[in-house]
Amino acid sequence: MINLDEFLKYLDSLGFSLGTGVPCSYFKDLLLAINEYNAILYVPATREDEAVGIACGFSLGEKKAFVIMQNSGFANIGDALTSLVQLYKVPLLIFISYRGLKDDGDLPEHSLMGKVTEDVLRAYKIPYWILMEDRWKAILEKALYKMTQTSLPVCLLVENGVLCK
Amino acid sequence: MKCSEVVSQLRDVLGGDEMIISSNGHISRAAYHFLPRPQLYLRGSMGLPMAVGLGLALAHQHKTIIVLTGDGNFLMGLGSVTTISYLSPPNLKIIILDNEAYATTGGQETVSTVIDYPSMIQGMSITAVKSIDPHKAPNNLNELLEQTIHESGLKILHIKIEKEIIPLDYIPWHPVRICLNFKKQHNINSKTEEKK
Repeated sequence: MINLDEFLKYLDSLGFSLGTGVPCSYFKDLLLAINEYNAILYVPATREDEAVGIACGFSLGEKKAFVIMQNSGFANIGDALTSLVQLYKVPLLIFISYRGLKDDGDLPEHSLMGKVTEDVLRAYKIPYWILMEDRWKAILEKALYKMTQTSLPVCLLVENGVLCK
Repeated sequence: MKCSEVVSQLRDVLGGDEMIISSNGHISRAAYHFLPRPQLYLRGSMGLPMAVGLGLALAHQHKTIIVLTGDGNFLMGLGSVTTISYLSPPNLKIIILDNEAYATTGGQETVSTVIDYPSMIQGMSITAVKSIDPHKAPNNLNELLEQTIHESGLKILHIKIEKEIIPLDYIPWHPVRICLNFKKQHNINSKTEEKK
């Protein structure tokens, strides 16, 4: 697991002061750490597209927000991406848990989405990276450079054990 | 009273520094045509104006944020009203223009008629909610708009309006321009805000 205190301090140092989303067990420890971390407010959203809307409104103010969700919930945000975030060119950092890989073979509700997650990201023209424990800062830097340069959303796919024990 | 008439009346009570988010379709067009420009005119993202308003309210706590939404949009984004109640930003005001229809797409009916808006919203622990039918009480609208916008605290105003709409031209600005104009109007500058 990534050192969560370092991870949050890094996001904080870049100006991220709001997180919002719908949880995943892959983000369990990250969410506990955010709640302990005073400089980042976390807003529990009722739906993933709502979280995108909140983060978008917050980021329009040129502050920075990130969104977290499961890849199942990613299937809920198509319109929020295409007719809001991408249309109005709002930079946004999205963490999506990568469920439905072989470890999740016993959970059929994630299987199909696991297989098509990267296809769907490509179809929506969202640049994405897989967050790796050993190179997380370099990967995040690359994603945030792209986000700032294009003023568009970018995504980090998060496998089990990377942001949770 | 028609949508555009209520929006025109809203213009008269504005202080001038508010941030207004209008919902996609006819309401954004009415906001463009009848309110001081620029505002944040949403052109898509049905159901999300309350969420966007919440994000803006959290980022700009010194500004008054007004969300103009129809009943269809409000009902699609109902979950975000509970999130708003949970955080209760005192600078956020939601105005629901309820014509019981999807007016932009041809007036198809919504399910709004079964809802008692004040009861439902009070059930979400938002107590500052008022409902008005200007057809029945035309003189009270101005006062309620004033209260909603100028008194502190999270507030929701539900207004029954006519189904019929006055046809309005599309907003000529591309969303990227809408965003840039809105930021310029409110002196939003990434460099100054990021230093905090």
